[in-house]
Amino acid sequence: MKVTVIGIGQSLRGDDAAGLDAVRQWQDEYPVTASRPEVHAEASELPGLALIDLLNDTDAAVIVDAVKSSAEPGTIHRLNADDLSAFTPDAQSAHGWGVAETLQLGCQLYPSLKNLPIRLVGIEAEQMTVGSGLSPALSKAMLAVCDTIENEVQTLLCK
Amino acid sequence: MKTIEVPALARVEGEGGLYIGLDNGKAVEIRLDIYEPPRFFEGFLRDRFLQEVPDITARICGICPVAYQMSSAFALENALGIKIAPQVRALRRLMYCGEYIESHALHIYLLQAPDLLGKESAFEVAAIAPDVVKNALRLKKIGNEILKAIGGRSVHPVNVCIGGFYQWPDARPLKVLLPELEWGLQAALDCVKWAVTLPYPELEIDYEFVALHHPNEYGIIEGEVWSSKGRKLSIADYEKGYIEEHVKHSNALHGHTVDGDTYQVGPIARLNINHEQLLPNAQKALKENKIKLPIKNPYKSLIARAVELVQAYEEAIQLVQAYKPEGPAHVDLKLKAGEGAGATEAPRGLLYHRYQIDDHGLIKFAKITPPTAQNLPRIEADLFQLAPKIVKMPEAEATLTAEHLVRSYDPCISCATHFLKLNVEEKGK
Repeated sequence: MKVTVIGIGQSLRGDDAAGLDAVRQWQDEYPVTASRPEVHAEASELPGLALIDLLNDTDAAVIVDAVKSSAEPGTIHRLNADDLSAFTPDAQSAHGWGVAETLQLGCQLYPSLKNLPIRLVGIEAEQMTVGSGLSPALSKAMLAVCDTIENEVQTLLCK
Repeated sequence: MKTIEVPALARVEGEGGLYIGLDNGKAVEIRLDIYEPPRFFEGFLRDRFLQEVPDITARICGICPVAYQMSSAFALENALGIKIAPQVRALRRLMYCGEYIESHALHIYLLQAPDLLGKESAFEVAAIAPDVVKNALRLKKIGNEILKAIGGRSVHPVNVCIGGFYQWPDARPLKVLLPELEWGLQAALDCVKWAVTLPYPELEIDYEFVALHHPNEYGIIEGEVWSSKGRKLSIADYEKGYIEEHVKHSNALHGHTVDGDTYQVGPIARLNINHEQLLPNAQKALKENKIKLPIKNPYKSLIARAVELVQAYEEAIQLVQAYKPEGPAHVDLKLKAGEGAGATEAPRGLLYHRYQIDDHGLIKFAKITPPTAQNLPRIEADLFQLAPKIVKMPEAEATLTAEHLVRSYDPCISCATHFLKLNVEEKGK
């Protein structure tokens, strides 16, 4: 089973880089898993609709992205694709086409995507203003995010 | 008093608010409020080494990073007196083809077509015509693949440098794209046939169009800045014809001619000014579909984009077939103090950069004029002309018509959240 870990975000937009940073750090923290032939990692800035292509090319996916809800900064959300609508009404997506909309369109065009195991690791952002570097709360949470990604990947590999 | 509010307009890039004030059925005030990042970027660039500029400015936009790379590279190469190799120039045009393909395919099918088909979103279009949207995504993906093959990744590619490219891309990943490019050319020709059948709202405006013009090719990189009103300037003299100013209601500067007139940049301007330089298939698409030039209806920018989609695929095929890297991929830099300007045609229109550098190649001054800043006053002027029609329309239709007009310019407001609030206020009621 091919499992793709997809980090989404922008590296010059504050905490919006959390998804990208987390996937890169997970590759460093868990090199054995990350280097398995059936495991692929994509640090994908602004994938937009290309996310559909990534999902069409895998058997399962872990999407890692910054999210904005009312939780404390650094909070880790573990969601299924169906849960994403909870983040759309006031979503502060800096990616043009947000993950939720893209998944919705993907499933509409390619019904097989509805059955694709997708897990979303959301990292609660504090600020998404122009500039580099994560907020302290998110930097502190990164190791726990890596552990969460590893856990999700292992779960998917065992399916 | 009448107020219409649209809390979220999801088919423009960025955030802004639209205010329309009406008095006795006439528009008395129209403001398109915009918040754009390029002003910050001009500050970020100061005291940065010039070789960092293409990759930093690429971050201004996720849809057209190549445009920012190209305008900055040409400007800084002009500052240093560098002449790039012919294959470098060809590869830069190929990158631009990739960007036009992905940007135009997105706008045609997913951003503007829903308006013309009477649908609220791309989801509704996908529901009635899934194969059309699948084709759109395939068209767009081919553009992404070109950028990935040359620049390592499809968004914010990283291979462009001052003097050329950091390294020649492998030929194989480009050559294997040829069958898809051939498919894309046919799909783009079909797109033009379909585009001319759509029901465009009636609106004819006597614009001043401004675009780069090159005598030997469709103007995208280098050449002169031509206006449909006859003004012809070298890129270095761009600021002698076109200036920007602050307006109270917008963080983005507003561009106008030195005479104080508004003007339009973008696909309609390019097509009207440069149609004689189109490649044969794009010429054929114009002729066979009886597209009359000059186009003066802003909503018909979709047709201009469709013709440019043909042009981009056709040129991409030629450039991939001819790709033969030889010699160094970039010129070695000899640093010296100086100043240089560069302009290229982003999918949304002319993008001008000017830089001053010191002896160590550090940026001392940067000026970036994006296409949307030039079009903003023109969009407001268009809305003034549209206002008498809006007044007579039901609220929902009025809102949609105004939004559609803004969307037809494909404004690249920022890479941030996309919210546009429309507020139509009828005074004296």
